[in-house]
Order: sequence, then structure tokens, then C-alpha cells
Amino acid sequence: MRNSTYLKMALNMLLHSKLRSWLTIIGIVIGVGSVIGIVSLGDAMQASVQSSLSDLDLTKITISPGYTQASSNMHGPPGMRESGASTDSELTKDDIAALRGLDSIQYISGEISGSEKVKYAGQTATLSITGVDPQVWKYMTTLKTQSGRLLEPADKYVAVIGSSIASETYDHDIGVNQVITINNKSVRVVGVLEEKGEGDDSKIYMPIDGALNLITDAKKDVYDTITVKARSEDLVDSLMDDIVKKLMVSRHIIQEDDRDFSVTASKSMAESVTEMLSSMTLFLGAIAAVSLLVGSVGIANTMFTSVLEKTKEIGTMKAIGAKNRDILMIFLFNSAMVGFVGGILGIMLGWIVSYGLQSMMGGDMTAGGGVSISLMIEGLTLAIIIGVISGVVPAYRASKLKPVDALRYE
Amino acid sequence: MTLTEIIETFKTKLNPSKTMDSLERTANFYDESENGSGESDSGEDLKSNPYSNSATVAVKSSEATRITLNEKEPLIKLTDVWKIYQMGEVEFAALKGIDLEIYEGEFLVVLGPSGSGKSTLMNLLGCLDLPSKGTVFLNSRDISELAESELARIRGQMIGFIFQSFNLIPTLNTMGNVILPLEFQEEEPEKARQRGEYLLEIVGLSDKKFNLPSQLSGGQRQRVAIARSLAVNPPIILADEPTGNLDTKTGDYILDFLSKLHEKEGKTIIIVTHDLDIVKHATRVVYIRDGEIEKIEERTKNKSEK
Repeated sequence: MRNSTYLKMALNMLLHSKLRSWLTIIGIVIGVGSVIGIVSLGDAMQASVQSSLSDLDLTKITISPGYTQASSNMHGPPGMRESGASTDSELTKDDIAALRGLDSIQYISGEISGSEKVKYAGQTATLSITGVDPQVWKYMTTLKTQSGRLLEPADKYVAVIGSSIASETYDHDIGVNQVITINNKSVRVVGVLEEKGEGDDSKIYMPIDGALNLITDAKKDVYDTITVKARSEDLVDSLMDDIVKKLMVSRHIIQEDDRDFSVTASKSMAESVTEMLSSMTLFLGAIAAVSLLVGSVGIANTMFTSVLEKTKEIGTMKAIGAKNRDILMIFLFNSAMVGFVGGILGIMLGWIVSYGLQSMMGGDMTAGGGVSISLMIEGLTLAIIIGVISGVVPAYRASKLKPVDALRYE
Repeated sequence: MTLTEIIETFKTKLNPSKTMDSLERTANFYDESENGSGESDSGEDLKSNPYSNSATVAVKSSEATRITLNEKEPLIKLTDVWKIYQMGEVEFAALKGIDLEIYEGEFLVVLGPSGSGKSTLMNLLGCLDLPSKGTVFLNSRDISELAESELARIRGQMIGFIFQSFNLIPTLNTMGNVILPLEFQEEEPEKARQRGEYLLEIVGLSDKKFNLPSQLSGGQRQRVAIARSLAVNPPIILADEPTGNLDTKTGDYILDFLSKLHEKEGKTIIIVTHDLDIVKHATRVVYIRDGEIEKIEERTKNKSEK
């Protein structure tokens, strides 16, 4: 018997199959659909995270006072980070001096930050202010201005503001060269940053000398964070170790337990976020795989019933010349076809699920979009393989039926 | 295609035998639907049908159906055949030492009451089952020694089965059922279709090609089954109570049809039945009772048409 004939016979069986077979197919549809939906959702999330990470400077290392084991919590502006352990340790000029000797460091700068009342056009808002070293900041930061400029070395009482401060915080938009009042001190806006999303859009960057006088608890030569830019991405890991060693020595810390500062690389943050995402995708995928497994047991079940039901037909076919192989193939093709149909419908379902979830999460996950072609092919192949695997045993049993017994079956 | 085959084809084409005419007349007579002339294929007989020239299948055209070497040699030979079923602790012998020789061209009726072992006998004759003891020779080959695939090939090419309950595949339409044996023999689809059309014409069901078995009457279903049994043009037709589920008129039609196949086509027909009426078509009757052959009766065929 030819393959085309097997296909024809299997299709015939499927088309004439009872409601039961279609219910079986639904099982596979749900399985494949959830796998596809979750995997493509994961892909989309990964893509969107990746695109926001691409803005991140992967050579950046941040040193902050206090030591917390969970140094990889949210990535974001260092100043905003809650320091896990409340210690009275500080980072000072001495630390910067100690680190200057490291070869792998391209730039280093100390930063201070704080929240202060900012007045503009009669309105007041409490905003986060970061004081940065104007000498190196424009080389270290990945921020870009939509208008105006970044900070220059000679600046003091000027500010670069986030896009949402410029356009949303106050009733009147703030433009370049306009003056805002921070703690009763006039500060001229020299630049407005591009929109970045997340918390970054409502921050004010100032030269550290100016900020020192505006931020209430700020002390000279004491920093909230020290930011380091490595010469290259590859050096980040070794540089982190070096920084830790160097600071341990310079701060006279002998035991790891007494460590009072933490070192975080945005690279490792990026890695951990990606890792978390992919393990979440894996976890959800595993749940989806379970439903696929249940679906495949369903196929096997239906196939067994179908073999039983068609025993007499199998006997007849054997009597008129069907070989064991013919019977085997007809049933295998049939279960593969159940998988195939389930796979096709499952891909559609997965597509809908993926879209639904993505729009529910509200993110503009344009990067991920729908279900990729390769995922569709994989899903379909998976469904067919599952169909075949669940069909093997029933089909084999059908093929081994003795014609005389099969014919006698009522 | 060998030269002889070509000549053979020409012969039948140029000199159309009237063999199938009578069969078709029967069919037309029986057929409730008009199907008036049926002239399209009437010039051809089973020999020149599209199928018989196919080189892909080992089945010979009816001219070549002489498979045994000579008339003396039986086509099927059973020597001391036992079939014992294990029923729990008890053994039950359905056949107790059957010796039987069936020759080519016979119209053999195996007659016996239910429970006599005649169905078991038919399963052995049709290579559907193997004996517990003794040997079944088909064309001098012991079927117990053949592989399952070889038995399947023999069933597919040598034997046409007709069952009491028709055993059509319910999901296939009439045409699909008729050409199914050809599909198992990997016949080319076009040739199979032609053969199917031809056979359906003969049994008078050309207008029911696309009907499912459930849309046919019992008699129509059995005619589909007959067409199916003839699909590969096998030398042996094996029928198990072919009229058992049919009314007398339909049953008679089926038997006449088989009878003509025997007369005109020289097919070996074996019918297993408990219906004494069928005996009138037989050339030999085997009476079977309690798993043993009671007597064998040679007959001259009752030629009287009804």
C-alpha cells in the first residue's frame, strides 16, 4: 500500500470519526496552544527586556554603601535603590582615590542623590535629584537629550531634567533655559532628556558641586554611589573582583561578613533579569507541556478505543489483503493526523493566547509581536510527533490482531 | 507486457466474448433503477478489463487462472486438519481430522448446521487462521509455514471473500470499498478506478458509486461486496453464508451471479452455508457435522435458470 493511500484512509477515518476524536483533538489544541502561547509570550517579553537592556551601559559598575546579599534586585537608577542593609557606612573620596589605580577603569565618578522640593511656575513637586561629576558624566551616561545639552565641566547651578518633568509634572511645560527653583535656589535647565520609560523620566541631574548645596543631608566628599565605567564589557567581571579586593583593603575590612559596600554591574543585572525571564518562561512552558502530555494520553486513549471499535474492519481489511504493516500505517497516519490537525488549531489558539496576554500586560511588545514561523513549525512538528508516539501502541496492537479473531469481533 | 499478453488482449478486444452479457443482464434485470443499455463495457469481459493487463500484480487474468499444474492436483488440500479451541480448562475441537481436496474450477458447497465447524473450515480455507494440527496446502504450499505478510498477499491476490454480514468498510463509499483490495495491492489509482467502475457496472450499482454502505440496502451491500471480492480478479471466491442476511429474491440473484462466475469465468467458488437451497448450484457438496465430514456428494450442476 502506498503512503498516499495510507493518508487517504487515515483522512477518511478522521473525517468520519466521532465527536470523541474531536474532543481528543481539543486536548491537543489546548496543549499545543498553551505551549506556543507561553513560549511566544516569553520570547516577546525577552525581546522587550532585551531592547530596554540594550540602552543599558553594560560596562557600568555601581558601588553603593551597605552590603546586601540580594544585590540584583531591580535595575534602575542607583540612587533610587533601597539599600538592603541599613548601615552607617559611607563611600568617600578615599574610595575613589583607591580605585583610580585600577587599569580596567575608564571613568569613575561619585554621585549623590536625594529628593527635594522643586518649584516651577508656582507649583511644587518633590523630585529626585542626582548630583553627578560633570567632568565625566557625559561620557559615562547613556542618556541622551531631546533638546538642549548634557552637563559640561564648568556647570554648577544648572540641570538636565527627565522628559516627564518637562512635559507632565507641571501644568506648564519646562523648556531649555527656563529656571526652576530647588530649595529656594534657582537652577537653569540646560537639557531635557529623551523619554526612557520607567522611573528615569522624572529625575533631575545636576553637577555634584551644585547638588551638594541643594540636597539636605549631602556632605562634601561623601557619595551615595560610586559609578565606574569599565574599559570593555569583557573586563567587567574581573574588574568587579578587583574593586571588591581593593576596597576591602582600603577600608580595612578583613572578613567578608564585615563588608559594608556592595558592587553591582549592570551587566550582571541584565543577565539576571534575562535569566529570571527565561526561567519563568521555562516554568510556564513546563506547565503547558503537562497539558500537552495530558492531550497525548487522550490521543492514545481514543486510538485504543478506535482500534477496538474498528476490530471488525481491521479483520475485513486483513481478509482482503491488508498486511500487518498496512494496518499499522493506517492507524499511525491517523494519529499523526490527529496531531497535525490539533497542531494547526493549537497554533491558532497559541497565537490568540499570546496576543491576548501581551495586550493584557499592556506592554508595547512590538519586538515580539505574534508567533514566529519557526515556533509554528516546531509546534506543528511536536504535535505530529506526539500524535505518532501516542498512536504507536494502539496501531501496533491493531496490526497484530489475528484476522480470524478480528472478523469474529462484534 | 509479454507478447502473449498483447495477443491475449487483442483477441479479447476483437472477439468480445459474451461472457459478461448474461451477468449484466442479470444485474439489469435485478436493478430497480433503469440503467438501460449498459452497452459501454458490454463488449468486454473480465479478462480484458483494465485490471487484468496490469503487470504490477501477480494475479493472472482468468485465462491464466490455471494455477495448479494439472487437473489432478488439488488447489487446496487439507490433510487430517484439526482445530482445537481452548475454552478455559476445556478443549473444544471444532474440526476433527478433516481430509478434503478442492480442485480448480469447482463450485463447492460446504453444508452443515451451525456449530458444525464449517466457519472454522472456511477460515482455514481462506488463510485467515492456521490449523492446530494437520496441514492446509494451498497450491501445494503449507500455509502454516508462510509468514503473515505472505498469507496477506495470498488472501489479497488469490481469494475473494464474501461475508454473511457484508463487512464493508462503513466510512468508505461504494467505489472506495470495491477498489480497497486493489489499494492493498498497490494498483495504480487510475487503473483501480477503471476496474471499480467496471465491476460496479457488472453488479448494477454504477449509480451508487458515492454512496456509503449505510445508504444501501442489504442486497446492494452484498453486491458491493461481490464487486470487491472480484477486484483483484482472484481465482478463488470464498463465501460465508452469502445469502444469510438477504431475502430470497436477492439471495437468488447473488447465487446466480456466483454461479455464472463459476461457469463463464472458471472461478473456483467455495460457499459455506447451512442453506440446502444453495446445493443446486454446486458441483460438489461437503456435508459437515460436529467437526467431521459426514459425506461428500458429487453433483452435476443444476443448469435450470430460474
